[in-house]
Amino acid sequence: MSKTRTVKTEYLARVEGEGGMLVKIRDGRVTDVKLQIYEPPRFFEAFLRGRQFTEAPDITARICGICPVAYQMSSCLAMESLAGVEVDGQLRALRRLLYCGEWIESHTLHVYMLHAPDFLGVSSAVELAQTDPELVEKALRLKKIGNDVMRVVGGREVHPINVRVGGWYKAPAKAELEALVPDLEWALDASRETVRVAAALDFPELERDVEFVALDAGGEYPIDHGERLVSTRGLDFPIAEFYDHVVEEHVEHSNALHARLRERGSYFVGPCARYALHRELLSPRALAAADEVGLEPVVVNPFRSIIVRSVELVHACDEALRLIAEYEEPAAPSLEVEPRAAWGHGASEAPRGVLYHRYRLDDAGSILDAKIVPPTSQNQRSIEEDLFAFVSAHASLPDDELRLRCEQAIRNYDPCISCATHFLTLDVERS
Amino acid sequence: MTSCVIGVGNDLRGDDAAGLLVARKLTGICGNDLRVVECEGEPVALLDMWQGCERAIIVDATQSGVAPGTIRRIAAHAGPLPPGLAGTSTHLLGVAEAVELARALGRLPARTIVYGIEGATFDTGSPLSEIVQAAVERVATAITRELEAPD
Repeated sequence: MSKTRTVKTEYLARVEGEGGMLVKIRDGRVTDVKLQIYEPPRFFEAFLRGRQFTEAPDITARICGICPVAYQMSSCLAMESLAGVEVDGQLRALRRLLYCGEWIESHTLHVYMLHAPDFLGVSSAVELAQTDPELVEKALRLKKIGNDVMRVVGGREVHPINVRVGGWYKAPAKAELEALVPDLEWALDASRETVRVAAALDFPELERDVEFVALDAGGEYPIDHGERLVSTRGLDFPIAEFYDHVVEEHVEHSNALHARLRERGSYFVGPCARYALHRELLSPRALAAADEVGLEPVVVNPFRSIIVRSVELVHACDEALRLIAEYEEPAAPSLEVEPRAAWGHGASEAPRGVLYHRYRLDDAGSILDAKIVPPTSQNQRSIEEDLFAFVSAHASLPDDELRLRCEQAIRNYDPCISCATHFLTLDVERS
Repeated sequence: MTSCVIGVGNDLRGDDAAGLLVARKLTGICGNDLRVVECEGEPVALLDMWQGCERAIIVDATQSGVAPGTIRRIAAHAGPLPPGLAGTSTHLLGVAEAVELARALGRLPARTIVYGIEGATFDTGSPLSEIVQAAVERVATAITRELEAPD
């Protein structure tokens, strides 16, 4: 007689937004794995139509409370590419600095508050605060330093208001940035310690043969921009050709579109991808931190992503310090951007992976069409494949433990499920 | 007594804007010992927002299944948020979790009041519902009275 087990989590805690998963096991073999999304479909692409091109950064920043800068940057870059404007020099350096603030804030939140509890056998950050208050206090200080960078450069911590297409409303004074240095130096040390703590955790066994995809930023570790997308299996194409290489599909069990590479299948974006493709471009101290704990050049166990995220935390602190040291106040805070009837493409590396925006404008700068492809929808297929592989190897675990391990496997990707949901004209079938 | 009022929410998600709207109504009464702040991001930031305050009043939309427009006032410093409200914030690592995190770390203001306004719709792009608009007015008035009352 066959025996069917169903492991189901209705609400998946500790991922941004609301999601759930379903794993079906029949006679000890996995027959089905689904990551489900309950969040209402996102209306942002429709919401943007008819708006002025200058409004896109502020509107899209509200898609996510954790990574507003990523949305602002990708939309600015798209508008600027369409107008043939390149924001460079100190104006771009400030963008990278703002983005470093977001990486510090987001990576800290994920590593300590969301992911670490899985490894430490506690149910949540609250329980962790009870058992190890010093660790949580350190995390809060680290996160606050990321927020401070965002506040000084971006005008405020969440949904920075200083960002505009073409640059900034007001460039910060050198002294304002220099005031951040002592805290960032502390953050750099705390990040290096984070790498050591993360590397000492116990990792469930899982090896995945995946295609990593990240932006190529021409000689620097990709954060705030990138003209091309590259993969560990030889893909290399300009971001304007995104849809020549990526297909987005609606799947029944999710409001989010699943992305896959044409004729190749699933792919993996985020810290592990950036690290696999651009390890040598990390700051010397970030690289040294990775070397110190013996982190392999390509991390194929997704549970070890917490170490890679910590290494990127070191990089973001180090990079922020470098940018501040080299900062000179620009002559003007922004460049003129004249809209024209054309398509524009922009992409940047959100903390959780590539965020691609595409817009079509008319001559008056009104948005006719908007497409936003967040990292989580690109990773969703890969997450399901991880779950399938992991559960197949550990089907004998009791339900409770299996459920915890599956949640942990999903959190490997730091998924932002509310970002990944999409406006659809199709009827969504829910089970 | 140093106080802060923190409105939590998202402007573009219907009734989720309720907390922010209450904060905006109260901005005019800011003074030396009172600050009013909006929290549009993740609520762990609340710990920094109320730093140094003896009293924090937090307003957030709830989604707990009671009638839309229902207002609840909870003295969070006295104990955990009641079941049915904890975890029903529409934000992740929600207000309830931020309050508990602060309690565990000894960083909860001596007087911490949470106002919950039950929302009707949280769809992206939808307007604020009338019943929640009315509740926003009532909560703003209630908080003004609370702040004016002698300690």
